[in-house]
Amino acid sequence: MKIPLTALLLLCACAAAQEPSAVAVRNARIVTVSGPVIDKGTVVLRRGLIEAVGANVAVPPDAMVVEGEGLIVYPGLIDGLSTWGMPGAAATTTAGRGGRGQTTPTPSAPAMPAATSTRARGPEDRPATTSWLKAADEISPTDRRIETARSAGFTTAVTFPTSGIFAGQGAVIDLLSGHKPGEMVVASPAGQYISLSRGGGFGGGMGGSFPGSVMGAIAYIRQIYLDAAHYQLVKEAYARDPRGMTRPEYDRALEGVLESKQILLPANRLVEIDRMLRFAAELKQRAILYGARESYRPEAADLLKKAAAPVLVSLHWPEAPRDANPEDVESLRTLETRDQAASAPALLKKAGVLFALYSDGLDQPHDLQRAVKKAIDAGLAREDALRALTLSPAEIYGVADRLGSIEKGKIANLVVTKGELFDDQTKVQFIFVDGRKYTPAAETPATGGRGPVTEGPGVNQ
Amino acid sequence: MTKLKICRRDRSLTVAARNRRQSRDPQGAVGALLLAASIAIAPLSAQTTVIRNATIMTVTKGTLKGSIVVKDGKIAEVGEKVMEPAGAKVIDAGGQYVIPGIIDCHSHIAVDGSVNEGSVSVSSMVDIKDVINPEDIAIFRALAGGVTTANILHGSANAIGGQTLVLKMRWGKDAQGLIFEGAMPGIKFALGENPKRAGNPQGGRGATVVAEARYPATRMGIEDTIRQAFNEAKAYKAEWDTYNAKVAGGEHLIPPRKDLKLEPLKEILEGKRYIHAHCYRADEILMLIRVADDYGFKIRTFQHVLEGYKVAKEIAAHGAGASTFSDWFNFKVEAIDAIPYNAAIMQKYGVVVSMNSDDAELMRHLNTEAGKAMRYGGVSETEALAMVTLNPAKQLGIDNRVGSIETGKDADLVIYDKYPLSDFAKVQKVLIDGNLYFDRDQDVTGRAARQAEKQKLLDKEKQNQQRQQPPRRPGA
Amino acid sequence: MKSLAILMGCAVAAWAASNDTFVIRNADVYPVTGAEMKGVSVLVQDGKIADIGAKIVAPKGMRVVDAKGLRVYPGMIDSGTELGLEEITSVRESVDTGELGEFMPQLRALVAVNPGSEHFGVVRVNGITSVMTFPSTGGRGGGGRFGGGEQQLISGQAALIHTDGWTWEDMAVERTAAMHLLFPSIAGRGGRGGSPIPDSVLELISGTAGASYTQARRTYEQQIAKLNDFFDQAHQYQKERAAHAPGFKTDLKMEAMIPVLDGKVPMAVSAGRASAIHDAIAFADKQNIKIVLLQPRELGKAAAELKAKNIPVILGRVLALPETEDDAYDQAFTLPVEAYKAGVKFAFGTFDNEFVRNLPFEAATAVAFGLPYDEALKAVTINPAQIWGVGNELGSVEKGKWADLVIATGDLLEIQTGIKHLYIKGKEVELTNKQTRLYEKYMAR
Repeated sequence: MKIPLTALLLLCACAAAQEPSAVAVRNARIVTVSGPVIDKGTVVLRRGLIEAVGANVAVPPDAMVVEGEGLIVYPGLIDGLSTWGMPGAAATTTAGRGGRGQTTPTPSAPAMPAATSTRARGPEDRPATTSWLKAADEISPTDRRIETARSAGFTTAVTFPTSGIFAGQGAVIDLLSGHKPGEMVVASPAGQYISLSRGGGFGGGMGGSFPGSVMGAIAYIRQIYLDAAHYQLVKEAYARDPRGMTRPEYDRALEGVLESKQILLPANRLVEIDRMLRFAAELKQRAILYGARESYRPEAADLLKKAAAPVLVSLHWPEAPRDANPEDVESLRTLETRDQAASAPALLKKAGVLFALYSDGLDQPHDLQRAVKKAIDAGLAREDALRALTLSPAEIYGVADRLGSIEKGKIANLVVTKGELFDDQTKVQFIFVDGRKYTPAAETPATGGRGPVTEGPGVNQ
Repeated sequence: MTKLKICRRDRSLTVAARNRRQSRDPQGAVGALLLAASIAIAPLSAQTTVIRNATIMTVTKGTLKGSIVVKDGKIAEVGEKVMEPAGAKVIDAGGQYVIPGIIDCHSHIAVDGSVNEGSVSVSSMVDIKDVINPEDIAIFRALAGGVTTANILHGSANAIGGQTLVLKMRWGKDAQGLIFEGAMPGIKFALGENPKRAGNPQGGRGATVVAEARYPATRMGIEDTIRQAFNEAKAYKAEWDTYNAKVAGGEHLIPPRKDLKLEPLKEILEGKRYIHAHCYRADEILMLIRVADDYGFKIRTFQHVLEGYKVAKEIAAHGAGASTFSDWFNFKVEAIDAIPYNAAIMQKYGVVVSMNSDDAELMRHLNTEAGKAMRYGGVSETEALAMVTLNPAKQLGIDNRVGSIETGKDADLVIYDKYPLSDFAKVQKVLIDGNLYFDRDQDVTGRAARQAEKQKLLDKEKQNQQRQQPPRRPGA
Repeated sequence: MKSLAILMGCAVAAWAASNDTFVIRNADVYPVTGAEMKGVSVLVQDGKIADIGAKIVAPKGMRVVDAKGLRVYPGMIDSGTELGLEEITSVRESVDTGELGEFMPQLRALVAVNPGSEHFGVVRVNGITSVMTFPSTGGRGGGGRFGGGEQQLISGQAALIHTDGWTWEDMAVERTAAMHLLFPSIAGRGGRGGSPIPDSVLELISGTAGASYTQARRTYEQQIAKLNDFFDQAHQYQKERAAHAPGFKTDLKMEAMIPVLDGKVPMAVSAGRASAIHDAIAFADKQNIKIVLLQPRELGKAAAELKAKNIPVILGRVLALPETEDDAYDQAFTLPVEAYKAGVKFAFGTFDNEFVRNLPFEAATAVAFGLPYDEALKAVTINPAQIWGVGNELGSVEKGKWADLVIATGDLLEIQTGIKHLYIKGKEVELTNKQTRLYEKYMAR
């Protein structure tokens, strides 16, 4: 994104204000996540990193002091699967209502190169594939949601391109404002985002573009991995000795796939969780399942545990439709899911499954807070909720050595609150991202939970 | 394979309780009770059962009045008098009838998403196995209609469609648990109006809105599409055969690229995959037989095959089975010569004929569809019953396991309250692998409880909604 | 010359006399309105049932049909078809139901009946002698299932016809047996007959921003208002007509409404859900008209109302899937016994040309799930006859009624039973059709 230099400077001027050499938040309650709670202590930040944290840490003479009396310091929250910072319209949700179908977000992201404008006639046309796309290359620092996310206490997002079957590779980014995109990137790539929905309507894509069905998408993915393995073989052989050998065609789709060390697969219903775990095993790929709407079911936790597969649980809990025909009684299945969905995190924790929570289209601080609170009310311990938004996502994406807790040497991402995080009345006072201090934006009126924007009927039928 | 805990619970609980999706009340006393119950009662392996004093229609060994002993999931004994093992569960079937579990040779239930990959004319790379949904209520409803095994097929949007598989209606198991172990994998072909519909966007039923017409648009093109695909498959197979031979000879080579579209076709050429071909008109049936002859493969079954009676001779000579239905005609042009005597005529010419449903509703009364073969064309009672039991079993290559009531076969059994080939009869109980998967009485008595459970959730939700939206105050 | 003429005259007279005059001997007669009679005779004279009994003396030379070991039943009546109006479902050119237009009471299904339709021969083989044929059995107007056109409310006049005849005039039993009203409905989920769209997907759709319930409700009420307006217009027209108002012009739509307003022609109302049924009953009350309810999805609370107002019901397909995922698997199978227990008079309709010949099997399924056998038999014979106003002419084997009869090899509702003879107004109709001919042809290949 090209930003006029003056605007950039202006932005820097407003957003980050001064840039002190060090900051010390003192006399605050500090929840480190990695260790016991410090009832009264000090955190010192320098050069964007945590220099010291403890009950008896001295305030360096050159540090800007932030009075933490009566406040609580937490590690900055991490959105485990996000589109914050990506260009294009606001994301749609992955979970869908009642967890139906293999729904995935396909935001209207015109910036993304469409896989094919002409009809794909099969896997060889690489439909809906931009596997080489890297979120780190596409960051839009002026995305308004960055600011609102910070106001909700988020300092980091693992953000992905989400359009298509192989949508591209994500990146762990810090939610800075007024900085170059490159400065926001903490780690890249962070995994390949895969979705199964290609649309095609009820006719199974009659005459439309391949694939037109869920099974078509699965077959396509399977073929891609076969092709990638073959491509690798051929490339290696050619590299060893090209003489006399036809050179392999450069295939950026396969390059992108081979680059990805792990994949994200959609799975909301138990049936899908089962299906995707087996699929990942077949593809011999490390997989992270996302959505997890029915992960409250004991069988789901069981499967995840056995597969040692981490899971990203959508915070977009299913809601009752607001304007429904009273004669249309929903199915027991739907009612159960709505009733039980928010208890999933607590049950996953009990089962010992590694999971993180993610925003899934929720942007407003109020909505995010309420969603986490709902999980807490349904049985998730507060510290586990916190972990699911800090150290757990950091572990899942392999950046736990840098993020996710308040420890010396880690990146200085903190959220300071008045009141316990996730409580209704709690106010976020400051947010530190890479050591830079931000204050929350004025709160926009609560939308009361924007209804999930599901895809049209073509979801995956 | 991971068995869902749920199946464990289910067998211990009333089957009726399984029908409803069990309410996860992990904190509640109910959950604890259920868990305790599940541990206490029968292990996963089938319980020894005796079905006593029924009229048993074995299909292969006549009809007798007697009992059946089921042990370890198999039929252990059938006879007028049997040795009832001690501790066996007894099902008193006095005055009732037992037939082998019904096998539906053409079904699209239990599939997530579209059953069609209609974007391309050859979609052999897709596999229905990837999208099996074990929680589809249609499975339960099929059970309630006496179906124990179903051939789950890809749709008919393509000349060469996707891969198919056979499932048992083991309601409550996970996707893997439904699979009929060892059944030969299949693939769907389709001829006639359906696969050419996307080639004719202007005309025809349900004028599909397509950006571009998809070849083929005529029956001629359908033949061409199939021939082209097998042409490619032959070359593909040759490539792999050469490679395999060389590797066997000690060479180190990069293998050819594995093409998921051509793999199943290669398997067809090698006789390792059954073809189930949806067809209507006599000319297209003959066309496919000749294509198969040219490429050296066999059609396993012709499906629907409504004009099969016109070319019954050729079908029999080829050795294909025919799976049809009696009633549907005139719903599209290629069905105008459909006659209910189709089954009877084809059978007379020596074709192995089965009746199928291709419909989640019809699936529930295949017993009466069999009865219709008696009315239209005078097929005998045994032959008619075979059309929904032994014949589809033969067609699917699973007749060593199912399709008749004989010792050694799977204990897939259906108990009817009255003579089964009649609309006056209804299914009372269904066993699969010796396990009771459907019990009408339990289902009926469980309804009130299920409704109450649902009402509880509805009430709870209503309360929540009221709490969240307090009545509007003026000026608020 | 004269003797030849007389001879020919006698021959003609004899032939004419035997055409719809004959006697059936040794039959087991199932009158439906009375107890069975075993081994009796039935005398048919000039197309009417003249006598039934053990000892019937027939004039010498009268044609005798020996029915030893066979049964005589009234011919069956299907109360919901499009026979003659739809040949091949997928070919619009062959389908004449679903005209364009919101209020089309002047349309007559009868005149569009094609007596040459293959369907008639097919249904006769299974013992169906009369059907109600509807100008639209549901769905939007202007092409019905083919789309296009607005929501149709009054689709025209349904006719009760015999399943055989040279012309539609010939076939007509009751030219205007009912006026068909498609009562407005609020789109909901579910739907009988095995929708290919699973609930899980429908739930997704119904929740989208598309049509909200409030909006749908408003539209629904607007349509009912329109309906009432139309009736008001009809009343006004009737008034002006009676008063020979100056400048009065004949309006065919309004003319068609008069018999409905006068209670001479019932309104056959398609209404699915309990709330719509309730509203339809209220509408009928308000307009003071007679109605017959078609294809209710459910009865529930509406049953008591229907009974109280003596509104008969035509039940749709018994062999149908439940409405929603949680419904009992036998929901559709038990709707008939539910109606029976509520004291509601009902008949069966198959509402799909292909399945008209399965009418007896639909009835039998209802018996399997609780409906007393006699009620099932009545629901395909005397009940529809009475509901459609021809209870004195058809529907049972009784003296004075038309000889619409079948001679069957066994229980009329049983699958293995064959129909040996079929008579419409005493004239035997050959039980051959295109399908039997193809059968013969290819058996001989």
